[in-house]
Amino acid sequence: MPLDTSTYSLALLRIDGRRWNDLRRLHAQIHTQDAADGSSYLEMGHTKVMCVVTGPAEPQAGQQKRGTGGGGQAGGQKDGASIVVNVVVAGFSSVDRKRRGRNDRRIQEMEITIQKALAANLHVHLFPHSTITVSLHVLSQDGSLLAALINATTLALIDAGIPMTDYITACTAGSTSSYAAGDDSADPLLDLNTQEEQELPYLTVATLGDSDKVAVLVCESRVQVSRLEGMLVVGVDGCRQMRRLLDGIVRQKGSKMIKEGAVQRSDMMAVSLED
Amino acid sequence: MTSLKRPQGSDQLAQNISNKVYVRSTRSGKVQKIVREVYLRTDIPCSSNLCRACLSQAPRNAVNEALPFVLSARPAGTKSYPQGHYLVPDTNALLNAMDLFEQSSSFYDVIILQTVLEELKNRSLPLYNRLVGLTKSEDKRFYVFFNEFRLETYINREANETVNDRNDRAVRQAVKWYGEHLALTKAVQIPAVVMLSDDRDNLRKAKAQGLHASSLADYVSELEDGDRLLDMIAESQSQAQGGFKQASQQPLYPEYYTSSRMMTGVKAGLLHQGIFNVSPYNYLEGSIKVPAFPKPLLILGRENINRSIDGDVVVVELLPQDQWKSPSTKIIEEDTITKNENADTEERQDFVSDKERKALQEEVKRTQKASGENQLQPTAKVVGVVKRNWRQYVGHIDPSTASKGPSQGRRLDSVFLIPMDKKIPKIRLRTRQVSELLGKRLLVTVDSWDRDSRHPVGHLVRSLGELETKAAETEALLLEWDVQYRPFPKTVLDCLPKEGHNWRVPESKEDPGWRDREDLRDLLICSIDPPGCQDIDDALHARLLPNGNYEVGVHIADVSHFVKPANAMDTEASIRGTTVYLVDKRIDMLPMLLGTDLCSLKPYVERFAFTVIWEVDENADVVNVRFTKSVIKSREAFSYEQAQLRIDDESQQDDLTKGMRMLLMLSKKLKKKRMDAGALSLSSPEIKVHMESESSDPIDVKTKELLDTNSLVEEFMLFANVSVAAKIYEAFPQTAILRRHGAPPKTNFDELADQLRIKRGLELRTDSSKALADSLDKCVDEKDPFFNTLVRIMATRCMMSAEYFCSGTQSYPEFRHYGLASEIYTHFTSPIRRYADLLAHRQLAAAIGYEAVHPSVRSRGRLEAVCKNINVRHRNAQMAGRASIAYYVGQALKGKVAEEEAFVMKIFSNGFVVLVPRFGIEGLIRLRDLADPEPESEYDAETYTLTTKGDKAVKVELFQKVVVRVHDDKDERTGKRGVKMELVSA
Repeated sequence: MPLDTSTYSLALLRIDGRRWNDLRRLHAQIHTQDAADGSSYLEMGHTKVMCVVTGPAEPQAGQQKRGTGGGGQAGGQKDGASIVVNVVVAGFSSVDRKRRGRNDRRIQEMEITIQKALAANLHVHLFPHSTITVSLHVLSQDGSLLAALINATTLALIDAGIPMTDYITACTAGSTSSYAAGDDSADPLLDLNTQEEQELPYLTVATLGDSDKVAVLVCESRVQVSRLEGMLVVGVDGCRQMRRLLDGIVRQKGSKMIKEGAVQRSDMMAVSLED
Repeated sequence: MTSLKRPQGSDQLAQNISNKVYVRSTRSGKVQKIVREVYLRTDIPCSSNLCRACLSQAPRNAVNEALPFVLSARPAGTKSYPQGHYLVPDTNALLNAMDLFEQSSSFYDVIILQTVLEELKNRSLPLYNRLVGLTKSEDKRFYVFFNEFRLETYINREANETVNDRNDRAVRQAVKWYGEHLALTKAVQIPAVVMLSDDRDNLRKAKAQGLHASSLADYVSELEDGDRLLDMIAESQSQAQGGFKQASQQPLYPEYYTSSRMMTGVKAGLLHQGIFNVSPYNYLEGSIKVPAFPKPLLILGRENINRSIDGDVVVVELLPQDQWKSPSTKIIEEDTITKNENADTEERQDFVSDKERKALQEEVKRTQKASGENQLQPTAKVVGVVKRNWRQYVGHIDPSTASKGPSQGRRLDSVFLIPMDKKIPKIRLRTRQVSELLGKRLLVTVDSWDRDSRHPVGHLVRSLGELETKAAETEALLLEWDVQYRPFPKTVLDCLPKEGHNWRVPESKEDPGWRDREDLRDLLICSIDPPGCQDIDDALHARLLPNGNYEVGVHIADVSHFVKPANAMDTEASIRGTTVYLVDKRIDMLPMLLGTDLCSLKPYVERFAFTVIWEVDENADVVNVRFTKSVIKSREAFSYEQAQLRIDDESQQDDLTKGMRMLLMLSKKLKKKRMDAGALSLSSPEIKVHMESESSDPIDVKTKELLDTNSLVEEFMLFANVSVAAKIYEAFPQTAILRRHGAPPKTNFDELADQLRIKRGLELRTDSSKALADSLDKCVDEKDPFFNTLVRIMATRCMMSAEYFCSGTQSYPEFRHYGLASEIYTHFTSPIRRYADLLAHRQLAAAIGYEAVHPSVRSRGRLEAVCKNINVRHRNAQMAGRASIAYYVGQALKGKVAEEEAFVMKIFSNGFVVLVPRFGIEGLIRLRDLADPEPESEYDAETYTLTTKGDKAVKVELFQKVVVRVHDDKDERTGKRGVKMELVSA
């Protein structure tokens, strides 16, 4: 069913009742699996993903050869850890039950995108001759999938204690009218759901922490250059909001762990236990 | 073990999020369960100018602009609500009486709920679009309140609650909230929030809740012009209220199949889907073309037609083979058969009246007698309607159904409205103002056609004026053909150049307007058009080159310079699609300033143009072609006649005249080549109405003369169109906008070929356009030069109509233009009056690198939508033009009687159709007009001969020349002044 964008101008409300600059509800948990080195679960609206990080560990025999997503850093064994990203999309995750194989081009592309972003921003040189494996599972899809995967990965990496330069947070940004409408005054949109993604031009952007440094920028739809800037600004702003939300979750978990005595309290800790 | 379970209430957002869950089935029959988030908010404003609280937190868009508040602080009051009121209609109220809400006398300050808007969209897209139009108009003060997104007004569907009940409850909840919310404003006079509904249950519940609620009829009757407005409430609803329908009535028509049964049936090939067309001569016969059969399926009789109206998309089921028939040869007109029906009581003696039955019975007998097995056509019955194509119809009240005598008081009368379009059945109308409406042109809407109603029921939209007044008739035919005739809105006029009529081609060549433009002001260019033409699209020039070849240029008005893509003017033009030419009026596609001045290639002034320049050798073969934007200065604007005189005048030896002679010489060669390739020269009767200049009353009718110069211009326009088509297709293989003319299916010509063979022993070969053109050339009658034209006219009617399309939608062989025998074709030469040409201009400009491609001219989906629209508009414009001519021919003949030669074009068993070449009109002559009582007759379908017996014995054959007496007559059925013909001698 085509999305009717004509009602937006009537009350500045999107199809699900949000304003143009609203994120969807974010729910995230960190350290969800005790057995894993790092794990997280993240929901952005109805997009639900989980992430498990294994490593840094000694590379397994088979892994280097398969090289899914590991290609970029495989040569750098001596200099630092290689990163392997696996994305599994569950058959029940979308409206139509559909099995997506390992060789699906779209999934491969997402794996490579995440792998490259991580390789550039993790301090992999600290772990020579080892592999960091990031396994992502998509349980439910409702738009902004790549962004959700990146955010979940960030949380799981923090849980695993792998040093990185800053949070890598991502979200999508779009525009309220389609490409063909050619409407340059269209409002930009933040955090699109599936319905919006199907009709409107959008991009996925990931930035590094509070800075404006863009770590990932993917745009597969056709859009006028004049609208791009507005979309990017909104997207980067969304990433900042996202960072605050993720940071809150990490801090909350940290203070809980200290309270429960799972971690020794030390003077070095910057976490204030009061909040 | 870590638990993933989310603690209750931890998320402060959670209470504001709800889920919309529903099940839908896709086109392929799959069932999907869809879950969508709904974010409930508290910052959706009430939009009342009384409310300060909402104003402070009004939402803002990305550039920090808030929407202005809509609802008036001091809304109008009525008797029941003297404090003023805001209206909240529910879906039924809008479905039944959208016309009311469009009134300018009342219905201001209306709150449209999102629930209602969405429900309306699902029920009727046209009404939805009208409502959205209303919400955009500033003076009507309609506000869309998104109640489903506001926390306080959102409600969950309860167990065992139907969707309708839930929506009604949502409406009441919103009304309640509005009331409470406005009470908080502490204004002196707090307006009442009134729910308008026609659902009695809903009204009762609202009253129980202590809300203001009213039915439409109750509300309207309190307004000042209540009586007039009451007529605009749809029929079906007032029935439900008044309850005058007898419950015991048995349905007259068979029930429609369920949509799932139709869908599976169509998929399995058991049922067929197509567009229902009614025969123009027989209202009880319809046909539907379906892919499964080469010939259209016939649908005979009221019961089989089963409430479909011309243009509806219907599903039909084939009848058994023993019920197959050949198409009717009898004229059956609704008015003569159902003349005495009473609209009021709808007495139901017999559903299929005896007369109708008799008419059909005779048909069956005839076919069985003739029983030429091969002539039989499959018949079918309608089992369901997929999509109604009801629009607003123009007509007049059948005076015989109106009650006689002065109407006392405001009694509700039932009358029949007879539509102008003969294919549309009578519409039953209930009105309180019969006496005022009699003799007026009326615009009505069809509301419904229930199983137990013989005729569709409708309601009045408005009156256009007295019958036969020029204003009313012109407006009527514009409405009938859906021509957009309203003045251009301000947003469109704002797109015009600010200089207005003082706009000039910039003098300095440094001006951006000159960028990439060639200076062709030195060329001796002239334009040749019909006399009095103001919107000059094209101009020409030719000159001899030093190498002995000729340079020929076609210069087309550069409209795309003034009309930029996707602005308001462009959107308006794409909706209008074409300029419509009526006899006394022109409905422009573009504002006058552009069409008749700035774009028009007027003589003696400099104008921007888009130029095609060929170098051709003396055989008119192209050596090379180029396209460029240019600046030209036309030397003279000729009429066809003036140009012809100048060319023929030997004493004129100036360069301009020489150039015109070259053009004429080359155009003849081009024409010859085209004809050799198999181009058809077809005919349609073309006539011109002469008007008295003062009163613009028509005084005479003449057939149009064709001069050499007509074909000169035509040839070069075709030539330019073909060249441009090839160029834009090369540049945009997927999205070029082209025009094609499909080869007609052979069966289309079967009847004509058979007629020619039997009556004249002539053979019509239709295997290719060349063969057809050649065999048409042979169809001559020494005694009768018009015979050839007649055959051509009839052949033209067997053709498909040409259409615009987007090149990606067809394969290359399908691009062919059958009539012009050209492999590829487009329209490029009339951008002032056709939108397709404007698109072609933009694409050509992009193809030659003049400007960047605008997304709107390369988005295929959008282009397809535009093509679809302009195809319809183009056709409607033609029809409106013809209808206008027909009206004026009638007016010109007013009070005159003429005896004219005529030719028999079509024969029925009880009448025949003749064409009068002098007026270019067709007329039906019925046997019952020959003598009273109707003479006995015998019709031989094999030889196309109709013989009557008795004292008025005549024998009429197809193609025969007859003499008819032509006089004007007011058609009682359509209320149109038309031409009536009587047979003088056969």
